Amino acid sequence: MIPFNLERAESLEQALEFLDRDGTEVKIIAGGTDLMVELREISPGEKGPGTVLDITPIDEIRGIKDDGSTITVGALTPHREISSSPIILQYAPLLASACSTVGAAQHRNIATIGGNVINGSPAADSVPALVALNAEAVFQSKSGERVSLLKDIYLKPYQTDIKDDEILTAVRFPRLPEGATSSYIKLGRRNALAISRMNVAVVLVIKDGEITEARISPGSTTPTPDRITTAEELLIGKEPSEELFRRAGQAVSEEMINRSGRRWSTPYKEPVIAALTARALGEAAGEGV
Amino acid sequence: MKKLKLNITVNGQKHTLKIDPNLRLLDLLRENLHLTGTKEGCGIGECGACTVILDGRAVNSCLILAGQCEGREITTIEGVTPEDGLSPLQQSFLDNGAVQCGFCTPGMILSARALLDHNPTPTEAEIREAISGNLCRCTGYTQIVEAIQAVADGREEQQGSL
Ligand SMILES: Cc1cc2nc3c(=O)[nH]c(=O)nc-3n(C[C@H](O)[C@H](O)[C@H](O)COP(=O)(O)OP(=O)(O)OC[C@H]3O[C@@H](n4cnc5c(N)ncnc54)[C@H](O)[C@@H]3O)c2cc1C
Ligand code: FES
Ligand code: FES
Repeated sequence: MIPFNLERAESLEQALEFLDRDGTEVKIIAGGTDLMVELREISPGEKGPGTVLDITPIDEIRGIKDDGSTITVGALTPHREISSSPIILQYAPLLASACSTVGAAQHRNIATIGGNVINGSPAADSVPALVALNAEAVFQSKSGERVSLLKDIYLKPYQTDIKDDEILTAVRFPRLPEGATSSYIKLGRRNALAISRMNVAVVLVIKDGEITEARISPGSTTPTPDRITTAEELLIGKEPSEELFRRAGQAVSEEMINRSGRRWSTPYKEPVIAALTARALGEAAGEGV
Repeated sequence: MKKLKLNITVNGQKHTLKIDPNLRLLDLLRENLHLTGTKEGCGIGECGACTVILDGRAVNSCLILAGQCEGREITTIEGVTPEDGLSPLQQSFLDNGAVQCGFCTPGMILSARALLDHNPTPTEAEIREAISGNLCRCTGYTQIVEAIQAVADGREEQQGSL
């Protein structure tokens, strides 16, 4: 392992102070399940971070709160806690499902949602669910708070717009609307340990047999995470049916090609994301009837 | 690199140490404390050979900096092994043919221990899920699941040495 200094931040204020002041390159460490692998890959002599800043002692950015309309998940909350939280299971069950599929128990016990969001892997499990929840990312720096729609922080795979002096303190989102149903499906190459190549989160509201709201948020599909409004619009005002969901799945794969172009992986991804989307919509609709 | 002061409890024993900031928990256990029951397989969080219990939860010690463990409690395979003899879980692994080369065994035992501590009556699916981050190249897992099930059912407790 390359040499670096390790600083422990006992409070958010202390961490922000440190990021503001320090001249060397600083890397934040939370659960470390992405960062430790990354640090290990830096060969001796190559330039790595001068300092690693441990934010895990900062209790103020850990835990789940519900104020009756908005749910706030502290950046340091581990996946295990999110997937078993009664608040999340009731008002955002797709996020509980997504977090329960991250790695194995050893990872979910310490890996945080903040690390998953900022690491920015296109296959990150919590991200499609958060995008389907219309989540916001909350950043803090010495100069104040910055709030952005979570989907807008992504510049490209593995890169967000977080500034050197900022910490992600939380993600937050409105409770799912009354009567909404949802589903999260992940296609892993191996049961628990595969970083998923494709996944999708969907939300449906069905009133009197008619779809009144639809959200479709696929992972590993578009250059940056997003809802696919062309597919969502197909569903509005219609009666749920297998054929309708198949067409929506088709619309997702068409939009993938519009945005990403054709690549070596397209022949695989095109049918897979269409089928996953149709299945997820079917699951969500099945819950509702 | 500035050395760091670390207070850590390992297997019930408090230690105050001066460590390198880039030391992994795995290295601290093996190199500094000579607790070599914890194994290094992949070093990147995929095999589970380095599994230890941190404040009651199974974690991969290859993915944690020792310096992140200030004031925390670690249990390793040495900590679940009685002075003489074996724990019921260890005995059950032997009785059920769940140990062949043994490289994965300390990690398996600690994942199983963490599971049973939180959920004393797991289903087979819950057992499989709890050890899904522990790879075994020898046994094919069935005997391991059976060994854990036997302890959960109380069958092993009666036969075992404890
Ligand atoms: C074997 C293995 C399997 C995995 N399987 C999956 C999987 O199935 N699905 C999946 O989605 N992921 C998976 N991962 C990846 C990883 O576990 C997750 O991305 C995890 O959520 C990262 O969180 P962390 O707390 O460990 O992040 P860290 O490694 O601590 O940090 C990750 C990045 O985010 C930055 N960061 C962390 N917290 C903050 C913050 N609050 N503010 C600003 N920056 C921050 C760090 O500087 C770093 O760049 C796997 C990893 C391994 C090793
Ligand atoms: S050595 Fe830690 S998981 Fe393989
Ligand atoms: S017994 Fe050999 S790896 Fe499990």
